[in-house]
Amino acid sequence: MSLLPSFELIRAASLAEVVAARRSHADCRLLAGGTDLIANLRHGLGSPATLVDITGLPGMQEIAIEPAGLRIGAGVALSRLVDDPLIRRQAPVLAEAAAAVAGPTHRASATLGGNLCLDTRCVFYNQSEWWRHSNDFCLKHRGTVCHVAPTGNRCHAAYSGDTAPALLVLGAQAELGGGGGKRWIALDELFREDGAAHLALGADEVLLSVRLPIAAGLTAGYEKARLRRAIDFPLAGVAVSLRRDGDALAELRIALTGTNSRPLLVSGCETLIGHPLDADALQQIGKLVQKQVAPMRTTIAPAHYRRRVAAALASRLAARLFSAPTPA
Amino acid sequence: MTALRGPAVGRRLPLIDGIEKVSGRAAYTADLPAHALVGRILRSPYAHAELLDVDVAAARLLPGVVAVITGADCAKPFGVLPISMNEYPLARERVRYRGEPVAAVAAVDDETAERALALIRLSVRELPAYFSAEAARAPGAVLLHDNQAGNVLREVHDEFGDLAAGFAAADLVREARYRCAEVAHGQMEPHAALAEYDAERRRLTLHSVTQVPYYLHLMLAHCLELEESQIRVVKPFVGGGFGARVEPLNFEIVAALLARAACGTVRLNLTREESFLTHRGRPETEIRVKLGMTRQGRLTAAACEVVQRGGAYAGYGIVTILYAGSLLHGIYDIPAVKYDGCRVYTNTPPCGAMRGHGSVDARHAFECLLDTMAAELGLDPFAVRRANLLSVPTQTANGIIINSYGLPECLDRVERASGWQARKGRLPPGRGLGMACSHYVSGAGKPIHRTGEPHAVVELRLDFDGGITILTGAADIGQGSSTILVQAVGEILGIDLGRLRVVATDSAVTPKDNGSYSSRVTFMVGNAAIDAAQRLRDILLAAAARKLESRPDRIECVDERFRVRGGEDPGLAFREVAAAALAQGGSITVKGTFTVPVEYQGGKHRGGAVGSTMALSYAAQVVEVDVDVDTGMVRVEKVWVAHDCGRAINPLSVEGQVQGSVWMGMAQALGEETRYEGGLPLHASLLGYPIPTIMESPPIEVHIVECLDPNGPFGAKEASEGSLAGFLPAVTGAVADAIGLRMTELPITPDRILEALARRQRDSRIAAARGAAS
Repeated sequence: MSLLPSFELIRAASLAEVVAARRSHADCRLLAGGTDLIANLRHGLGSPATLVDITGLPGMQEIAIEPAGLRIGAGVALSRLVDDPLIRRQAPVLAEAAAAVAGPTHRASATLGGNLCLDTRCVFYNQSEWWRHSNDFCLKHRGTVCHVAPTGNRCHAAYSGDTAPALLVLGAQAELGGGGGKRWIALDELFREDGAAHLALGADEVLLSVRLPIAAGLTAGYEKARLRRAIDFPLAGVAVSLRRDGDALAELRIALTGTNSRPLLVSGCETLIGHPLDADALQQIGKLVQKQVAPMRTTIAPAHYRRRVAAALASRLAARLFSAPTPA
Repeated sequence: MTALRGPAVGRRLPLIDGIEKVSGRAAYTADLPAHALVGRILRSPYAHAELLDVDVAAARLLPGVVAVITGADCAKPFGVLPISMNEYPLARERVRYRGEPVAAVAAVDDETAERALALIRLSVRELPAYFSAEAARAPGAVLLHDNQAGNVLREVHDEFGDLAAGFAAADLVREARYRCAEVAHGQMEPHAALAEYDAERRRLTLHSVTQVPYYLHLMLAHCLELEESQIRVVKPFVGGGFGARVEPLNFEIVAALLARAACGTVRLNLTREESFLTHRGRPETEIRVKLGMTRQGRLTAAACEVVQRGGAYAGYGIVTILYAGSLLHGIYDIPAVKYDGCRVYTNTPPCGAMRGHGSVDARHAFECLLDTMAAELGLDPFAVRRANLLSVPTQTANGIIINSYGLPECLDRVERASGWQARKGRLPPGRGLGMACSHYVSGAGKPIHRTGEPHAVVELRLDFDGGITILTGAADIGQGSSTILVQAVGEILGIDLGRLRVVATDSAVTPKDNGSYSSRVTFMVGNAAIDAAQRLRDILLAAAARKLESRPDRIECVDERFRVRGGEDPGLAFREVAAAALAQGGSITVKGTFTVPVEYQGGKHRGGAVGSTMALSYAAQVVEVDVDVDTGMVRVEKVWVAHDCGRAINPLSVEGQVQGSVWMGMAQALGEETRYEGGLPLHASLLGYPIPTIMESPPIEVHIVECLDPNGPFGAKEASEGSLAGFLPAVTGAVADAIGLRMTELPITPDRILEALARRQRDSRIAAARGAAS
């Protein structure tokens, strides 16, 4: 780590204040838990003159059941997601995914919104200023070439948030707020397959909260491949949700992280609905995942491993959930 | 005074500096209070280049910059070995790895120092760079050092016994190749130095994280062209070494040069990345082993080739490549042993000494092949080791005298504790057991500098307060050496340990010590401490005898009471005796020394000094793993390790050291690997370099085997390194037991496991297809 650049910190108390601060300070970044941002700033990945702390915005710290579902403020700390009784009852997969993030001290400070909006990562990007300078920088920051795929024209940095796939398989929506007011979108629409610009947020927009539909009979889980069972970002992370109707699969969603520049909701799962989840079906799940994920050389672990393990974890997790007792 | 009476040796005494460490009161180098300038180093962005110009004019003009130095400020190359000093504190004429220091600044604050670095301009002519030993050795490769042909630092060719006859006598001869990745120490405390230069008196004081204050002292004098008497080196609390600081390092000399240029005090705290760039870890190593074995498992001959990718400078390289060969000896009885080693220069950060220096990767390869051949002959891994045990006392073919050998008992202990005979081969799928042996020296027999001085000196001082100060130059870097000295002195004197204090590693006060490397401190400094304590005891006994009107040889001291042996008299308290002794001439200072006798300083062959020692430690371990064939993850379920450390002066500390060794072996075997992309480290952070967390740490059951060595202090031997090497082959064996595949490349990462499983599946499909076709 090297020196943290100087900045002005604004603690915003309302959405209007955030919008105003961003209008009047061009070189401005949003701050929540800071566990990702501060480390990146110390690496010289940007030197914003202003940071706007958004954790004090109304509703940011709330977890509540509303008519439309379970609503969770973007400023809720990951450690609270792990322990909160409402989350553990209504969305245990989210608690599971939150518990898989980094280490206890990170989770105490890191927020759900921060984890969802986590910057993409790459071995050519998450390095010191000296390192990146020695390597002529990269497409994502100050350079012109993506060292992962030098002939291509986009950044392949990988998305690594653990909570996104858990929320995607639950059909979450995201609440965005900006100068033009607030709007809800499907969480899936928040992301883009571009490592240098992976969030589809408007220039003045902030992620305020997420909302989960309350779905009966759904069972879900999260599995994360990584070298160490703490600290590490996912080499591949897989969330699966499913509903079983007798011996047949009634509903199935699979979402991945760590493999692409965005969290990926696997398509084609509907072909498995109505059938038992037998060996053929599990193999089919593996194939669907292998085909759709696109890990690149963004981690020290080889890309082909991440593809393989994503598929293996997806079918294993599906099998485990299918044979687990149906939740009340 | 806290009462700490009774026998001191064998006591599970918590480390004497533990309270400072766990309470946060311990001041490490970066914590030392000082009104200091901020030092920063500019590092080469080039892997290999001629340095045409380093333009520091603009940096010098920046307000707040006090000094800017370059290679022009020091023309003296340094290095830990007098025969291979080829590194400059700041590069001159050539840069040889990405991250090599090129210039340095001292400024009033961090921002200014950073801005100054950005103003320095380098002009270079880039040269071809080599990142593997193979590329560097290829014909026509540009030489990193003009006088080092073929980019080879040292080749070693040793042969003892009749190799051809040995292989001819074998029923089974097998040869295999293994590769071990380069690994780094990952010590918790990043590198740091605090240099203070008194310009009027031309005196330098340096506080640093070093394991070898004396060698650092010599190199500071050499590079700054100062008299040694004008330098003071102090080692404060140190957060781990493992060999990372076992040689003088460029940043320490840079800090001193900066302080002199600035005529003041400079603090140089390296980042984690810079600590990784300074490196000195275990080199990437290719090993080819060939063994001959009879049907009964008896070894008839061994041949081993080792190639190490050494990095850009010599450092300890010659010693590392020699250790790999010399420690093929001393563990089993092998009639003929041939060794061919080659240490190669590459454009990567210099490698150096790391826990188990030189021996680890070669031992791994040897033990792996031993297991493979045993399996082929239907022999149990324990049986094949037992078939080749030494009988002691003996002298190895390469001249190491062995007087104590606890390996047989180590084998018995872990075989029993792990339930090997009942469980091996009967575990559920994905589970496996493996075992292996290893050993290590108890201090290098021959010192690096042949000064004729004793190899270790300890002074004891007793004054009016009744306290005894142990003065030692031995660097406690967390391994607990100061605690051992307290126990050794307390045992001889028969006094309360609370009366003892240790003052260590301040060259202005403490006697010179060669440093904390090759597991020498307990053995050598421990023996010197015993010698010193015996001299002080003689003085106290004489004083007591005078007061008790007896003879010194009839007095005993138990729990601070001096009395005539067998008498009724209640005797004298320690304070009374001390007062009587002090009355003779005031404060008492005694000195004890230790020197390794010449017959223990190694064989007569070239390089015979490396591997020489007075005693070897021995270890055997069994590792149990669970392999997840979906993810390739290897989980270590349990380790049973037995370590023969002679007398365990402090069993608590021995257990900690053995667990640390096993754990570090686990880190190397299962995950750690330095990776370079065009010479840039991909791994230079604690996020990128996967040191295991507590989540990966298995229960490690330590069995202490006390096979007393006649030359060791109280019979003690090495305890901190010998258990490391065995973990690598043991876990490889366990994985082989679990999934039927013996991995030949370390670390055994999940991707390598999945790759190997996929390859096996492919091969068996092809074989099946061929079978069907024929």
